[in-house]
Amino acid sequence: MTDFVDLDVRPTLRAGGEPFGEILGAVKALKPGQGLRLYATFEPVPLFHVLGSKGFSHEAREIDGGDWEVLFTPGPDAPAEGGLPAAAATPASDGEWPAPVQEMDNRDLDPPEPMVRILAATETMAEGEVLEALLCREPIFLFPELAKRGHGWRGAFEPDGTTYKVLIRIGAAAGATA
Amino acid sequence: MIGATLSRWTMSYFAAALIALIAAEGLIAAGFGFPSAPIEAPDTLVVVHIVAIGWLTLLMCGALFQFVPVLVARPIHDNALPLPTLVCLVGGLAMLILGFLQLAGRVAHGLPFFPAAVALLVLGFLLVAWNLGRTMWAARPLTLAARFVTVGLVAFGATVALGSVFALVLDGLATAQPLIDLTTLGIPVHAAAGLGGWLTLTAIGVSYRLLAMFMLAPELDRASSRAVLWLGTAALAVLIVGGVVAICHGGSLPLALGAAGLLAAASLGLYGNDILYLYRARKRRKIELNSRMAGAALISLAVCIALAVVLIALGRLGEHIGAVVFLFSFGWLTGLGLGKLYKIVAFVTWLETYGPVLGKTPTPRVQDLVVEPRAVKWFWLYFAAVYLATVALIAGTPLVVRLAAAAMLIATCGIVAQLVRTRCLLDVTDKLRLPAGVRQPQLLYATPRQT
Repeated sequence: MTDFVDLDVRPTLRAGGEPFGEILGAVKALKPGQGLRLYATFEPVPLFHVLGSKGFSHEAREIDGGDWEVLFTPGPDAPAEGGLPAAAATPASDGEWPAPVQEMDNRDLDPPEPMVRILAATETMAEGEVLEALLCREPIFLFPELAKRGHGWRGAFEPDGTTYKVLIRIGAAAGATA
Repeated sequence: MIGATLSRWTMSYFAAALIALIAAEGLIAAGFGFPSAPIEAPDTLVVVHIVAIGWLTLLMCGALFQFVPVLVARPIHDNALPLPTLVCLVGGLAMLILGFLQLAGRVAHGLPFFPAAVALLVLGFLLVAWNLGRTMWAARPLTLAARFVTVGLVAFGATVALGSVFALVLDGLATAQPLIDLTTLGIPVHAAAGLGGWLTLTAIGVSYRLLAMFMLAPELDRASSRAVLWLGTAALAVLIVGGVVAICHGGSLPLALGAAGLLAAASLGLYGNDILYLYRARKRRKIELNSRMAGAALISLAVCIALAVVLIALGRLGEHIGAVVFLFSFGWLTGLGLGKLYKIVAFVTWLETYGPVLGKTPTPRVQDLVVEPRAVKWFWLYFAAVYLATVALIAGTPLVVRLAAAAMLIATCGIVAQLVRTRCLLDVTDKLRLPAGVRQPQLLYATPRQT
């Protein structure tokens, strides 16, 4: 039987907070073979993709009062700690990157709006910070612009084959882009 | 670096292509060539090649230099080579036109225009194939769209090879009997390989990707799209190999053409179905002008196939082949080309101008570079004129064809004026047009900046 660690993000959500960092932190702290039992005020669909890419399967059910309980169970490939999706296109792959400080879902935006939003966000971030963005295709025209601005990136399609996840690290491209 | 950058000379290709389109429409309106002259007259060949090489091939090459890198997520092999390539293609077309005028007795005999045309056009083709081929070779395994482009380039090569044989025979340099037979009988193979293989297969491949991108629809790589490629490739193989063998070894050319036509029709039917699927699966509810015009072009393709089928059933295809080819070239290929140009020019100009400052300062959106309600009337005038000309060709009223061509010319000029306004940022509000750090783009080429 999988051993589950409990995490209740409902207080954070009700206080208007953003629990994503908290959740990723908890996932990162899991021991090999451990799963995560998450309580949230809504069905956290975006999280299914993110943790799915780390090898977790999920089982969600509605509990009392419209809240949700989700069991994230590690698959055989799940890393002991929160790693990155495998097979990433990595012009800059210098070791472990910190958890993203900002996430955005750009999958439903008209091109080139995803690129505009990503570049706008990178301008507000500090050196070394990481931005995560979900897209509906590989951002071909974004990469040269990131390179010019000296940012590093890692990107790959998620296992669902339709969502492209890119992580951008501010100022991380020094000597890494060819 | 992974990713795609701006193609430096694509705007020059587009400008040369649009000048050729305007010239061709002007010539038809002026009564030069078909239908005022016979379909096989040298004057008609002048107009046909201004459309096929000057307009459609240059348009396609310019678009491919920008979009093959997008299809394969790699930079272009050589971003400087497209300029000498353009010089070869335009020079080759000029020589070819002079060669045809020589045939018509309008230009003095004695100068080797046809051999010069062959040398320049073959070189131009080889440079295109080398540059795009190397770009795609570095990105194996190829995506579906890139495989369409590859087959399209093979068809381009076959078209150029057959055309070279014709030119050398007409010049008197080639005298072998099989080559003379090819020249007398091979024109349908040459035309179908160019319009159907090179231009249509490539347009299909690129449109799968562009329409998905611009309509926010899922990328297609399903069994039917692969079947479109295989059936199209088979049609091309039957057309070229079967056609040439039939001509040189006394086989049945109509049989080869008919078999290729059936395969092509099946391929196009599946393609139409795929595009309908994309349209239904799109996330963008509001359809932009470029996609609406692609729709009008696709309808023209369907009407063209239906027209051909009806004419075959009536046994009158030979009599009206001019109308079918006209609708195929102007309704389908040109309609699609003009519609996509409207988007591509805006997008490429936006990326070149505002890419370096995105996120750092307020910038216009791509759609702020265009005024669709002003452009759309020229597009509808264009399509209406194309249909009027097609009907007039079938009815055998050359004067109406000339009037319709004049209307096409006016509509094209209206569309070109919109494209120039977009490229010069004239429709962007003053406040947003040139923020600090932004340079006005050049009309005819892109200046990628290194920082």
